[in-house]
Amino acid sequence: MGEELIICRCQEVTEKEILDAIADGATTVDGVKRRTRACMGLCQGKTCGRLVQSMVARQTGQNPADVPPQKSRMPARPVKIGTFGGPEDV
Amino acid sequence: MYDVIVMGGGIIGCSVAWQLSKLGKKVLIVERTDIASGSAGATDGVVGYHTKKPGPQLDLAVQSIEMFKTLNEELGMDVEYGLEAGGIQPVENKEQWDMLSAMAEEQRKSGVDIRMISAREACQIEPNLNPDIYGALYSPTGGKVNPLALTVAFSRAAKKLGAEIMTNTEVTGFIIEEGRAKGVVTSKGEFRADAIVNACGSWAGKVAKLAGLDLPIKPRKGQLAVTEPIGPYLTATVQCALYNVIKFRPETIKDQTVLKLGSSLSIEQQESGGLIIGGTREFVDYEGENTFEAVETMMKRAVRFFPALKDVSVIRFFSGFRPYTPDGLSLLGEVKTLPGFYMAAGHEGDGIALAPITGKLIAELIVTGKTSYDISDFSPNRFL
Repeated sequence: MGEELIICRCQEVTEKEILDAIADGATTVDGVKRRTRACMGLCQGKTCGRLVQSMVARQTGQNPADVPPQKSRMPARPVKIGTFGGPEDV
Repeated sequence: MYDVIVMGGGIIGCSVAWQLSKLGKKVLIVERTDIASGSAGATDGVVGYHTKKPGPQLDLAVQSIEMFKTLNEELGMDVEYGLEAGGIQPVENKEQWDMLSAMAEEQRKSGVDIRMISAREACQIEPNLNPDIYGALYSPTGGKVNPLALTVAFSRAAKKLGAEIMTNTEVTGFIIEEGRAKGVVTSKGEFRADAIVNACGSWAGKVAKLAGLDLPIKPRKGQLAVTEPIGPYLTATVQCALYNVIKFRPETIKDQTVLKLGSSLSIEQQESGGLIIGGTREFVDYEGENTFEAVETMMKRAVRFFPALKDVSVIRFFSGFRPYTPDGLSLLGEVKTLPGFYMAAGHEGDGIALAPITGKLIAELIVTGKTSYDISDFSPNRFL
């Protein structure tokens, strides 16, 4: 496996880019996300979030469970804009 | 020992640190969490003239937008700046038309091209815009940038010139000697410098309080959505007319819900294809969760102006705090009651656009004692 290995498939972020972000000072999944766009795609980190978390842990000498995951926000899965009805549908 | 300590690793702090480093100063950035972890990573990237308050704020924007042109080259990193994207503000009725026309007339005094156009012209520029509008305001030179990339680029460029960045480091107090600010006390120890810059954005009021200063900067929440990536849909940045009305003439708004949520529409398409949709302004202290009330209002307004968006999916809602000040102007300059303590905060929703010029002017002020543009209207001392 080389450093061109894709970790975040949605945003096509490679292992090397994530290692660079950690070297640049990222100590959390959000820190990697802000520097590389990993976890910012269609799946919102559902696929690569854990991988990024373990990479941060390994590089910074932490236990993976101690590395904060990315902040979760709604919606849990993509929702069409037309679905949001506004006050009339209450 | 440092020449300058910049508190806050956001877009303003990193810009100030880069400019100071360029002038040969030894800079330390002290950041409570991480670079771009506050508002810079929780906003859109509109860099336009037409949403700026006429007068000095707009004059600053004009100078800042000039600086954006060469940032990629100077920073050595692509900040995804789209210069000629243009800015459009669709207008829904004659009342809004009259208000925006009057504002545009004031804004043109700063020498910018901002004009009112018909609904037809607006739809020729942006074919996906709903033709059922009264008209629009148009500013051809409006642009957009990736604010996250820009903040990271400022920080890296500063580091290359010798600046140090301490993340996960919270300021807890100040070293004050003979009435002068001489350093900061942090969760990782004390650091001394000749000048201290408060660039803590929405948290700048709290940090100033640690130095005994009572400055009226408070957080105003903006909620946003990002959609799945789609093909080219929108070139300009679009803010509905209500955006400017809420910003500059809130007293004319009668609907209390609109006033409380500050609900207008701001929308742009990023280089990656996703659309960023936002446009709320709420005072809820530092409560940053998304609310169904705001989310529904924003999505409905998005479909009102761009009907085809009803079939596009949102992949994430998010929010950020904008540093509000009572008069809509940021606080730039040295605090007279505490020499050595400088403010560079309070840009509310204009922080991204004004970051380059803010960094330049604050660096000039600290290094030479004067600025290439008069910033006395922005003096923090107007509140002291």
